[in-house]
Amino acid sequence: MNDRAENTLLVLPGLALLALAFFVPITQMLILSVSGDDGPTLAHFTRFLGDPYYLGVLWRTVRLSVLITLICAAIGFPLAYIMARVGPRLRLWLIVLVILPLMTSVVVRTFGWMVLLSRSGLIPDMLRDLGLVGRNFAIMQTETAIVIGMVQVLLPFMTLSILGIVTRIDPRLEEAARTMGCSFLQSLRTVVLPLAVPGIIAGSLLVFTLSASSFVTPNLLGGARIQVLAASIYRSVTQTLDWPFAAAQAVILFVGILLILVPYARLAGGRSNG
Amino acid sequence: MADVRLTQIKKSFGQVEVLHGITLDIVSGEFISLLGASGCGKTTLLRIVAGLEGVTSGTVEIAGRDVTELPPEKRDISMMFQSYALLPHLSVSENVRFPLRMRKIGSRDEQAEKVRDALETVQLGHLADRKPRQLSGGQQQRVALARAIVSRPQVLLLDEPLSNLDARLREDMQVELIEIHKRLGLTSIFVTHDQEEALSLSDRVVLLNGGKVEQEGAPSEIYSNPATGFASNFLGAANLLPATLSQTSGGRAAKLEDGQVIPIEAGEDGDVTLSLRQEDATLCADGEGALSGVVAARIYLGARNRYVVKVAGHEVRVLTGTEDVFESGTRVGLKIDPARVRVLPRD
Repeated sequence: MNDRAENTLLVLPGLALLALAFFVPITQMLILSVSGDDGPTLAHFTRFLGDPYYLGVLWRTVRLSVLITLICAAIGFPLAYIMARVGPRLRLWLIVLVILPLMTSVVVRTFGWMVLLSRSGLIPDMLRDLGLVGRNFAIMQTETAIVIGMVQVLLPFMTLSILGIVTRIDPRLEEAARTMGCSFLQSLRTVVLPLAVPGIIAGSLLVFTLSASSFVTPNLLGGARIQVLAASIYRSVTQTLDWPFAAAQAVILFVGILLILVPYARLAGGRSNG
Repeated sequence: MADVRLTQIKKSFGQVEVLHGITLDIVSGEFISLLGASGCGKTTLLRIVAGLEGVTSGTVEIAGRDVTELPPEKRDISMMFQSYALLPHLSVSENVRFPLRMRKIGSRDEQAEKVRDALETVQLGHLADRKPRQLSGGQQQRVALARAIVSRPQVLLLDEPLSNLDARLREDMQVELIEIHKRLGLTSIFVTHDQEEALSLSDRVVLLNGGKVEQEGAPSEIYSNPATGFASNFLGAANLLPATLSQTSGGRAAKLEDGQVIPIEAGEDGDVTLSLRQEDATLCADGEGALSGVVAARIYLGARNRYVVKVAGHEVRVLTGTEDVFESGTRVGLKIDPARVRVLPRD
């Protein structure tokens, strides 16, 4: 057996799993999304795209995902930089701390936020006591609550992606920048940040995809009024039992994410090669 | 251009003191080498001048201004790193422009002009648009040099910048460094572990050993008059032989540990260390020389042979021509001019 045949053989189990667990359901979803009572139809798509409510849901999903990605990058970059430059012991503890949210169940974590953010919860109470907000102030069931909850879960993906890149940046480059007239913050901006871009892009891809497709946290923290696309799909499947419409929404989410990610990933590839 | 004054610099990392109070005056326009083995504190000292490392005590003055507490960007210095430290995401010309941009020197056009000049100086004008990793090691080296001189800093710091180059390139760069230093007259501090480099480049050599200044002086002075055993060993790769100097029946002589005797005029009586450069002895048949020993190894160097000869239990290195060949294991004599033997106090 030559190398090529051997490689093909090695890749087969993976391909089989991918086909079974991914391509088959995706194909089924595609077929379902165009199936109607009288043969193939695009009615489910026109219904979605013609309804301002659903367009609003789509827009909110994209907007919140972009916002969550930006906030994760804004927190993740400095955090990853600090983790890369401290000693190995402290770094280990910081990594554990950062991935701790991933180790707890999504429901427990989200209920935790509900306790903290609800009208009589710790945080609004404290803000009211400090006189910073009015009596009717609420965080629960707002987009803010969704963003807070999602950033906490998705931060590790961003941080660890950037950390992998930043640990490979030679600290002497920053020292060189300092001897050439950069303050500490300028050396971060002109040296570390541009070199960390591949990590930021990789992290953004993960965070954006995960936040656009998540529904438990947005549903629990945002409530029924503030729907995101994934939650709307879930409702179509479990409550209205309109499976073809759910499939059409899923296809729109899938295509929408692809449309945003492919050019972005290409941008990232272009940067790291050029 | 400015003078640099270091006063009683001490530096500790944790419990370990690596610099034990170094005082050094460097005059404006001088090219000074900090020479020493690895771990002697020479790079730490350079980083302290740059501001990349704080001091435990002592002061650093540049151009009469106390800069001890100032961060690197507030000191008018530039530094060339052993690893070059070129910024990989910037092109060659952007790298060279970087210090001008960050220090806000001149308008955009003036900066471009200076970058062109600096790149011409190191003969790299044609590579301005390349990225650093598209260049060879020698070329990266020259870009780093152009970047270090483009802003005409008061002090130029060089941290073993030539040690990653092969021998030919290193010689070329040495010549170039000397020329550029002459032309610009920058006060330069050069860190190296290579004694030849230190001797050939600098106006003054400061030999560091264990965080202290062992000896300092002009290259010729420090080479011909090493004050200590360490200095003579490090600078000339000299052989050191413990001996006892005393008045004997046949005049003053030094007695080696195994009883061999050589007549020596210089030095005080008592326990001393004899220092003998490897080029100051030749081999001859046993019995014809002042000392005798056994050849332990012969290293063929092309134009010359280097012998390692065991004399009185110590290895003595001798550099000779290739006319006579002595195989290892043979007993040979060492011809020595007693006037070229230096007598140093026992460490």
